[in-house]
Amino acid sequence: MTPINRDVPQDGDAPEDPQRLHNDLHEIWGNPRGLKALTIVNHSTLGLRFMVTGMVFFLIGGMLAMLVRAQLALPGQGFMTPDIYNQVTTMHGTVMMFLFAIPVLEGLAIYMIPKMIGARDLVCPRLTSLGYWCYLFGGIIITFSLVLEMAPESGWFMYTPLSSSEYSPGLGSDFWLLGITFVEISALSAGVELVVSILRTRTQGMALHKMPLFAWYILAMALMIVVGFPPLILGSILLELERAVGMPFFEVAGGGDPILWQHLFWLFGHPEVYIIFLPAAGIVSTLIPVFAGRPIVGYGWVVFAILVTGFISFGLWVHHMFTVGIPQLAQAFFSASSMLVAVPTAIQVFVWLATLWLGKPKMKLPMLWIVGFLVIFVCGGLTGVMLALVPFNWQVHDTHFVVAHMHYVLVGGMFFPLIAGLYYWLPLFSGRMPSETLGKWGFWLTFIGFNTTFLIMHWTGLLGMPRRVYSYDTGMGWDVFNLISSLGGFLLSVGIAMVLLDIALHFRFGKPAKHNPWNADTLEWANTMPPSAYNFVSLPNVDTRHPLWDNPDLPHTITEGRHGLAVASHGRREMWGSDPLTGKVREIIHLPDNSWWPLFAALALSVVCLSLLTKFYPLAGIAVVVAVAFLLRWSWENGAHPKAAPDARVNPGDPPLHSRTMDGPGLWAMSVTLLANGSFFLSYLFGWFYLWTVSPEWRMPETSPLSLLGLIVAGLALTAGAGLLEKLVRGLRQQQDAGLAAGMYFISALGFVQVAVTLWVLLGADLAITVTTHDAVIMVGLVYVLLHGGLGSILALLQGLRVGYGYVGAYAPFEPVVVAQWWRYNVVTFWVIVGALAVLPSVIGG
Amino acid sequence: MIATMERLHLTHPLHFIVGLTLWSVWFVTVYGGHAVACAVIPPDPEQGAFTLVNAMLLVVSLAAAGLLATLAWGCCRIAKHHQGRLLFNAVVSAGLYLFSALGVVFTAMPIVGLPPCL
Repeated sequence: MTPINRDVPQDGDAPEDPQRLHNDLHEIWGNPRGLKALTIVNHSTLGLRFMVTGMVFFLIGGMLAMLVRAQLALPGQGFMTPDIYNQVTTMHGTVMMFLFAIPVLEGLAIYMIPKMIGARDLVCPRLTSLGYWCYLFGGIIITFSLVLEMAPESGWFMYTPLSSSEYSPGLGSDFWLLGITFVEISALSAGVELVVSILRTRTQGMALHKMPLFAWYILAMALMIVVGFPPLILGSILLELERAVGMPFFEVAGGGDPILWQHLFWLFGHPEVYIIFLPAAGIVSTLIPVFAGRPIVGYGWVVFAILVTGFISFGLWVHHMFTVGIPQLAQAFFSASSMLVAVPTAIQVFVWLATLWLGKPKMKLPMLWIVGFLVIFVCGGLTGVMLALVPFNWQVHDTHFVVAHMHYVLVGGMFFPLIAGLYYWLPLFSGRMPSETLGKWGFWLTFIGFNTTFLIMHWTGLLGMPRRVYSYDTGMGWDVFNLISSLGGFLLSVGIAMVLLDIALHFRFGKPAKHNPWNADTLEWANTMPPSAYNFVSLPNVDTRHPLWDNPDLPHTITEGRHGLAVASHGRREMWGSDPLTGKVREIIHLPDNSWWPLFAALALSVVCLSLLTKFYPLAGIAVVVAVAFLLRWSWENGAHPKAAPDARVNPGDPPLHSRTMDGPGLWAMSVTLLANGSFFLSYLFGWFYLWTVSPEWRMPETSPLSLLGLIVAGLALTAGAGLLEKLVRGLRQQQDAGLAAGMYFISALGFVQVAVTLWVLLGADLAITVTTHDAVIMVGLVYVLLHGGLGSILALLQGLRVGYGYVGAYAPFEPVVVAQWWRYNVVTFWVIVGALAVLPSVIGG
Repeated sequence: MIATMERLHLTHPLHFIVGLTLWSVWFVTVYGGHAVACAVIPPDPEQGAFTLVNAMLLVVSLAAAGLLATLAWGCCRIAKHHQGRLLFNAVVSAGLYLFSALGVVFTAMPIVGLPPCL
């Protein structure tokens, strides 16, 4: 590394030697090759890996769809047995929703967001890597079940009791529950870091209201993942516990209720549709202004619509359950809120149309897919409003009409914009242009094939054909419609194959793209094509929504190092940490280097998943310990650690390193993680109160089996530890770290007291967890607080050690603030658990 | 009232989520409260919509809609005094509060006509 010892250039000043700066940055940020490529944490590489892996799963899901259409093409077909057919349909939905749609959009966001907001990477690069490996390994595990002919077969929503051990005794449901939970680690990882990256790493001057709309959409999507996925994770854990251990959460006889699964699933499942739609709509809102040649009409309206969608979409889940016997008034609430969500969607459609109307649209290849999206998605939205009406919903429930609607919304609302986006950003990925001819053939075949398949399917459904039947008799009036749908399906496949062929060929035969080939306005086009590992040589000041339209010279001045952080002599990976509202620079965020720990942790988690699947529980326990050890070792290399940022010197005029402040991105990441954790906890409480109120065979004992005194002692130890930690943090704020290590050890000891006493309460309760749901739910709640207490104690212990090593102190006060948040959360959830499980039942009674 | 509004810093982007969060809390309260009421004190079906349960749900809904409408009005008022980022924040927040208020009214309308527990 050539030492560079220059002053920070002011915006517009030229540095001494841009080429040397580029070389130095490349040395710091560049990707290794060979086996070490597995250690890469860079967002561009990992974003591409996500997208390519997602497309492979898309092909698998697509082939399964073709099998379904081949089976249904003619009446009385029998080349698949009912059992195999059920596996194929379940896996088609599962693969498309969990292994294609979400990961590929996350991959796009992971790739694009730092480039759009003027950052060099995402804020937690190792988390990106962990997310990718969990996704890959989890996806392989789930998909492998098909090869073994053991795939899940209860539908992609795994309704109980069909998915319970009585009716699905094989391993199929276990593959789904364990595999999907594993994959969801990936979704949550991406959700957390996208939120923090968008809020805290925008380049200087990029205030919230100047942010690209795509970033708004991804911010909403990421927050929705953080809040929306935990209910399903809880549901999956409960169902797996029921299947593996016999804890009767969803069995009426023990006091459970199968409808609880439906609530937990759809609390996730309906927002999931919007989690998929929002980033796709973000692509549309990015592309339409570029091809219309004018700013979007009503930026504020779009932000409004994104926020409304993000919230209201959580209030619709029961519209998937209109036929389960819920009172009419409750159905009316959900019917109304389901109609309400059409308002923000309509606002966006009108904004897009107005932008096209007022601009001069150029019908390039990406725009074809956008127009296709508008046509198909509006149709899907309208049938969605029809389905929001309870009487109509009852009529077409579980028919092919619903299948058709769902595909109009998901394929129209996600796949078409995704392909538009891929074509749009292809020159950025590769530096080459796609073929307009091959691309147009691909579009028209896909568009015609899609509508032939699914428009017809509305009629098949209205004629009464139920979903998920593996065969049907001739004479039902469905023959010709199914045949047309199947032919359309194969036409659709040919179209998609042509698109993929075009994309594959363009890497070799595509015309070299000129810089910013579409004359776009956003910052990603200020990168080189393809982009460097660090994106920007220097980080510009951006105070406009259209940086490249307002300053076309920006790519050159960035490359010449004329803007901020054009320095590499320290050998650190770093970028701006900015104020979430104003975009004013607050600190320099230093990022970790490539690392094996994410891969190792994901491998250990894979062993956990596989050993649970094969019911080899001792190995699962060992693998959990190993995974936690890897994750803690990973966390050790932070802050002032020699592998992170031992030297905190910065150039004159620059803000401090984040690890030397009290408000780094790690604090925000912890907050967002706790938001997800809180969603999990609230879902648990919902389950407790739901079963208590609704479950027909719920049995509440006369007196609580839990020792209230023991719980109070445990809670007091926890609260005292949290209080002491707050005191130490207050001291650090005043640059005082006397007694910090001893304080941390004492806090850790208090945490272990809480764990020990809670464990004593749990063991003393003599819970019959396989007999009554009441006891099973209590067990889950106590294990939850035990795990949290245990982790809090270990974190405090590690902080004590880190003070001793000199990684934490008044000069590096960041980490105790993060740990304090965890303890605060533990205190709140512990006392809520005590109130809900031990106090309220005594006060109210069963 | 005006002084209270000023103390709420209605130009802060936190208000982007406050209105919709209130809508969500109202929605959960009404849905959950309705379920609990039907489990604990189910009214006679003969009463139709004129029940204590409906009355309570309606009162909660009117209070929520009133609060949200007031906050929308506050944001509109504050917006007139600002430019740029703060104007943007206040205007978007006003729209979100108004939408949330109308969302409460629209979603709560069935309370007026439907018996609660059938």
